[in-house]
Amino acid sequence: MLASYNQLFHNNKKWVQQKLMEDPEYFIKLGKGQAPDYLWIGCSDSRVPANEITGTEPGEMFVHRNIANMVVHSDMNLLSVLSYAVEVLKVKHIIVCGHYECGGVIAAMGNKQYGLIDNWLRHIKDVYRLHEKELDGIADSRLKARRFVEVNVIEQVADLCKTTIVQNAWKKKQTLAVHGWVYDINDGFLKDLKVSVVNKEELHSVYHIDAQ
Amino acid sequence: MDSMESSYTRLIKGNQVWAKEKLDQDPNFFKNLVLGQNPQYLWIGCSDSRVPANEITNTKSGEIFVHRNIANVVVHTDMNLLSVLYYAVEVLHVKHVIVCGHYGCGGVIAAMNNKDNGFVNNWLRNIKEVYQKHSKELLAISDMRERENRLVELNVIEQVLNLGKTKIVQQAWKRRELQVHGWVYGFDNGLIKDLKVMMDEIGDIDPIFRYDI
Repeated sequence: MLASYNQLFHNNKKWVQQKLMEDPEYFIKLGKGQAPDYLWIGCSDSRVPANEITGTEPGEMFVHRNIANMVVHSDMNLLSVLSYAVEVLKVKHIIVCGHYECGGVIAAMGNKQYGLIDNWLRHIKDVYRLHEKELDGIADSRLKARRFVEVNVIEQVADLCKTTIVQNAWKKKQTLAVHGWVYDINDGFLKDLKVSVVNKEELHSVYHIDAQ
Repeated sequence: MDSMESSYTRLIKGNQVWAKEKLDQDPNFFKNLVLGQNPQYLWIGCSDSRVPANEITNTKSGEIFVHRNIANVVVHTDMNLLSVLYYAVEVLHVKHVIVCGHYGCGGVIAAMNNKDNGFVNNWLRNIKEVYQKHSKELLAISDMRERENRLVELNVIEQVLNLGKTKIVQQAWKRRELQVHGWVYGFDNGLIKDLKVMMDEIGDIDPIFRYDI
């Protein structure tokens, strides 16, 4: 217990020394503020650290991570992050990044009862129902899970576009693109699902919200 | 290429460089990752771009399960955070839950004043409650920067307590070892400060918040 705990402090000191060696003013610069271009909405999975896999440095990416990179329209946690990133920091890109082998998505495919988390996984089950025809048509369960991960990302991209936060930014002519990616733990590569959205035109009209 | 396009493609390029680097260092890197995750830590930190969990703790892919929100707040009805906590504690059996705040936190500073921040007001309200609870101590600090810094610390301490008040944590304490820690990260020197408020048993929690499990 103690060893695993102390390890992090030891690591932190090592990291600080490294950064200071590269640039003695490194922390002074960071302390001045943040101006990230990206908001990352990813999975909490320990194998998908946003900065590492994109080769970005501290200060470059505003990050929210939850179980299975979900965008739930009544989730004040995610919406607060989104509001701050879009309205205050004015990020240019929002990236929803899922990953193959996602435990949350795989759990949502089955019928096992887990407990409290079932309420969260329900949102992923709703995605299954939307894409039922396609997913039921995939016999191989591993391939089905991979496709489920992808369509889940696609739906979360759409859910972002349905928010007033994103639509108001577009209304104000703010440059903002919403993207859907999948990270493959099998080879470390990011896959762009090519579902980027830059305006509300592609959304079903029932989700269009007039500016105040 | 316009800046929109180039800021986008650089991430994909950055990823390709990273993946190659990892394979050069260890040809089995991704093969091992795909076998599953077994992190010992759950990190609850701020979304602030300057506080990436893995970098500042020098840990690799697979080592830390991560949740990041505005001002690292633990709200007892927040299904987002509770789902993360549940999975980390009940399924992954992490040994340590770490709440890590940071000095200069925009969310904490915003909660200290009366500006209307729109939608995010609802979330910052949780930090205002922390302010009110500790207002005597905070008001005695005349230097505003020092007052902010202390609220950052107190906010972390309250979130550690909030974790201890969940059934998820209390149930784990009943069965096994689980430590909840409070940390603050400082941009001035890059170092993590342990607030020494670690909790690992139900006795650390006010009786009204204890559940018979």
